[in-house]
Amino acid sequence: MEIVGQFPLFYFPDYGSAWMMGLTGTIHILASHTSVGAALLFAFLVHKAYKENRSDLYPYMKKYGMFLLIFSYVIGSITGSGIWYTATAASPWGISALIHNFVWVWATEWVFFVYEVIGVFALVYFMDKIDKKTHLKLTYTFALASLGTLCLIIGIISFMMWPGTDAYYVTGSASDAFFGVNTFPHMFLRLGFMIMMAGVIGILISSGMKKDNPDLSDELTRKMGFVSILGGAITLFFFVWYMGTLPENAHAIFAYDKDAIIQSRIVLTLMFSVYFALAILRPRWMNIPLASVMIGVILVSGLWKGEKLRESMRKPYVAGQYIYSNQIISRDVAGKGIKSELPLLAEKGLLQATPWIPAHLRTITEANQLEAGELLVKLACSHCHSLEPTGKYRPMRDRVAGMDKEGIKGILYGIGAGAFSHMPTLQLPEDEFEAMAQWLAAQPY
Amino acid sequence: MELSVLLALRDPAGIPFYPVVFQALYILTWALHIAFVLLSLGSAGLSLYGSTQKNSPHWQQLTPHLIQTGKLSVSLLIVLGVAPLLFTQVIYDPNWYVTNSLAGMWIFIFIYALIVGYCMYYWYYYANKAHHGGGVLVGAISFGFLVFCGVLMHSFAVTSLMPNEWMAMYMPNGSVDMSGWTFNVETVRLAFMVSLALPVVGIFLQAYSRFVSTRKDFEASYVAFTARLGTKTAMVGLVLSAALFVLWMGAIGYLFHPISLATVVGVVVLLGLSAFNRNSYITVGWLVVVALLISGVREWIRYDIMAALGYTIYDYPVNLEIPTIVMFLATFLVMGGVGVAYLLTMAWKVGKSEGVFDGSQDVVVSKLGNYTLGIMSAWIVIFFGWGLMILFNNIL
Repeated sequence: MEIVGQFPLFYFPDYGSAWMMGLTGTIHILASHTSVGAALLFAFLVHKAYKENRSDLYPYMKKYGMFLLIFSYVIGSITGSGIWYTATAASPWGISALIHNFVWVWATEWVFFVYEVIGVFALVYFMDKIDKKTHLKLTYTFALASLGTLCLIIGIISFMMWPGTDAYYVTGSASDAFFGVNTFPHMFLRLGFMIMMAGVIGILISSGMKKDNPDLSDELTRKMGFVSILGGAITLFFFVWYMGTLPENAHAIFAYDKDAIIQSRIVLTLMFSVYFALAILRPRWMNIPLASVMIGVILVSGLWKGEKLRESMRKPYVAGQYIYSNQIISRDVAGKGIKSELPLLAEKGLLQATPWIPAHLRTITEANQLEAGELLVKLACSHCHSLEPTGKYRPMRDRVAGMDKEGIKGILYGIGAGAFSHMPTLQLPEDEFEAMAQWLAAQPY
Repeated sequence: MELSVLLALRDPAGIPFYPVVFQALYILTWALHIAFVLLSLGSAGLSLYGSTQKNSPHWQQLTPHLIQTGKLSVSLLIVLGVAPLLFTQVIYDPNWYVTNSLAGMWIFIFIYALIVGYCMYYWYYYANKAHHGGGVLVGAISFGFLVFCGVLMHSFAVTSLMPNEWMAMYMPNGSVDMSGWTFNVETVRLAFMVSLALPVVGIFLQAYSRFVSTRKDFEASYVAFTARLGTKTAMVGLVLSAALFVLWMGAIGYLFHPISLATVVGVVVLLGLSAFNRNSYITVGWLVVVALLISGVREWIRYDIMAALGYTIYDYPVNLEIPTIVMFLATFLVMGGVGVAYLLTMAWKVGKSEGVFDGSQDVVVSKLGNYTLGIMSAWIVIFFGWGLMILFNNIL
């Protein structure tokens, strides 16, 4: 192997490109989790309406269904592909590893998607056009299809954290990669959150029905309060279990902000417990603005922060604990015939061993040292750190400000030797570290 | 572009099944995807014209149906688009990932333009529902967004076919450009693809006319109007598309290539079927064949471009992955087949009914529903059983 297969680098100044994935991913998680939870809740409501002959529930379900259709499926399906797209631009080897390990799992999930997308239109638009029994059966299949999508994606996103056991590295089998020790706790953690989200969206819709039918609005708001509490409790229980199944490097990162994270989770739990209790005890106090604000709080304080934390806890890896965030393969995977790229990079360096390098920068000279240094820092660091003096996303400024070239070089060697468990053990030739340190020291941080 | 670089850009994990299968799945699913892309553009565009025809009762009746068709088609094109996107990056990963890295900003813009465009389409739908002709401006802006997304998607496809220029795109004049603003257009190819929206919506209208002709609540004059409109649109569109196809093929030297000639024959047959409009359901079936041919042409061009550089997907290292392909095939053929048949049979019968359709009394719908429910339940049980078995095997 003489070349390391790096792709061209896409870098967004001040933020890096990872935030694009993060933003799209957060919106997608809100929509997709709501859709699965709502599909289950929808089946429960239709079941109840059918068994108890409650025709008054159907208009609510129609409204709920329209919301489900427009918000969850429209936004969810676009941002679902959107994560994929932005990931290919920001982290091509990360997503490629997932695709090449799990293409048939994703293809299977696609079959469920097709059923869901046709099914959701049938579910909503045929509500008044087919008999109740057939509609009930349709909602059951729809709920199962939604559950199927969760079953299929969960092993893939769990693998992003780690395969869970060493079996995958030996066999290369997708089954071993998919069913790790954290797959099932992760699944039920997300299922709990989905149920909670279904209740939260349900409160938004039921509280909007107060004028037309106050009694029904109260009844449904109470029910949604109970559903939300149930979902929240499942989430909390499995969150604790899930944390216990994570690898050491994840706990090392978690330890940095452990107190602040736990504190904020307690505040959120208390806040939402009060909110759900009010929905049960004082359903008339619920209204659309309040419910919308609470959804916003979940989006910003819960999901955005939670997903950022999950992404940080994977460091220095981006998938399967064999691909670093900076797109370098860091270990052998015998079962797939994958070889670590680190030895070649240590010997030849990024400028010699990767393809997308201008000819005049292949060899470092005194004249091009700063230019080469800038390129090297971008290749090696910009997937996680914004590099400008005004950088916002894990800014490099905060790491090296005030240090001289030798100090920075010492850190680079330390990272390469594995002194920091959350950083890639990327060892480069002396002249490349020298150029990187030179450029970093020259920045007006 | 050097072959050694292209080979280094392949995923070292290899692929989990034979490349030709991914290639075939790509051709098939892209054809389905583009069919709904074209139907959404055609029906949305025609609905905008229909919204301005305030004095025509036929247009007043047709326009909401066109808007609804566009709405459903966008959802379907998104979900059907996931499959070719998946299969292309398995075997053509150098093309896929290089393109996306070079066009990162456009990728990001594409996602949010699609969200805005589609949400505005719902706005258009509700405004038109409130009163005929409502929301035309919103509809036009939404249509503009959807076309813009199509142009971006075209740009990604074109960039992926320019491996010899990738280095120059990334390093113009030796200076690295990481901005992600790479944008390329091949005008004739784009014009051909967009022009196909006309024949697709025209043939759809012919089928729609036939479908509603059995309903007593649709007047005969309306049925005839939609059939006429469909024929006219399909004829004009097919002639235009055929001319652009010949231009495109001529420009890239594929005019007398067997697959181009097969496509031309396919279009001529389609022209005949549309002109006589004896059975529009057969025309729709033939349209799918032509879509597959066009998908095949695209793939042939890509294969040739890469083969000229020494890159062939057929020597991609294979790491056979049996359990997950068994899962896919079983789910696709059994659950997908029965489940989608259930939904489409129900939709067909609901569309044919004037009142409430009683599916519980319909043997086919009822049985398909029971089978779907049973298969899905069994699927969940098997999934958990499989997972627990693997997990226990690895941790105990």
